[in-house]
Amino acid sequence: MALSRSMRTCLHSGRLALLAILVSSGIVLQILACALYNNWWPMLTVLMYLILPMPLIFFLGSDTSSIMSNGGDSWVNFTKFLTGASIVGSIAIPSILKHAGVIGWGALTMELSSFVVFGVAILWFLQMNGEDEYSGVF
Amino acid sequence: MENLALLWGIIGPGVSGAIFGAGWWFWVDAVVCSAVQVSFLHYLPGIFATLAALMFNCVNKDEIGYDYYSPYGDDSEWRVKLWLFVAYVVSFVCLAGSVGLLVQDALTNKGPSVWTGVAGVLQCVLVLISGLVYWTCHSED
Repeated sequence: MALSRSMRTCLHSGRLALLAILVSSGIVLQILACALYNNWWPMLTVLMYLILPMPLIFFLGSDTSSIMSNGGDSWVNFTKFLTGASIVGSIAIPSILKHAGVIGWGALTMELSSFVVFGVAILWFLQMNGEDEYSGVF
Repeated sequence: MENLALLWGIIGPGVSGAIFGAGWWFWVDAVVCSAVQVSFLHYLPGIFATLAALMFNCVNKDEIGYDYYSPYGDDSEWRVKLWLFVAYVVSFVCLAGSVGLLVQDALTNKGPSVWTGVAGVLQCVLVLISGLVYWTCHSED
């Protein structure tokens, strides 16, 4: 890495800002999906979004390698289970609402794109955290 | 091949959670979109399948050898085997029950639609598969 230290800090805070923009645009998309159609049913998906980042919240304080490592505590396994279930749930709830005719195609698209945006943000956040540990060695 | 096992240890519980969620959400979809009231009898296979999946995840650490230190002495293998046996019986009865309900729903027009029956079978199968997948992740330790 040939970047100077100040450049690296600038890049890092730039990435954090971009991450914050991603998360807020996800929230905006979610709220728009309800507000534009004056139909507040899609807010149920927010319940799933609360469960989604649980492994991060619980285990980010301790060493992050416990998420990426094999085996591990049985609580880590259970939170991963919850994450998997909530990922499917946040795709399933808008689809069920659409299937039952409660919301339309536009709301469904906005819900799903909000989910994709959140997913990208979380994956990027995890990757950034992994990078931090790496650069600490240098 | 070893890398695959490591990767499975990392994402396995997540995949199991996703399959479990898929199973139950298909059922929720069938109940919500059903034109008639779905009776409690139709909920039973799914509930018992979840119970069975929970049951055979309780015997994770004992592995296939079933040798573990227990206060009951050496001949307590039979408790673990009985537990597993009951779990298997419950899961097979659920599968059979859900398929039977599907056939019944397909034959008559007055009861729930075919989608309810299909969703019931899907729910049972997916929940049981999710339980098995979660069990394999445990044994990776």
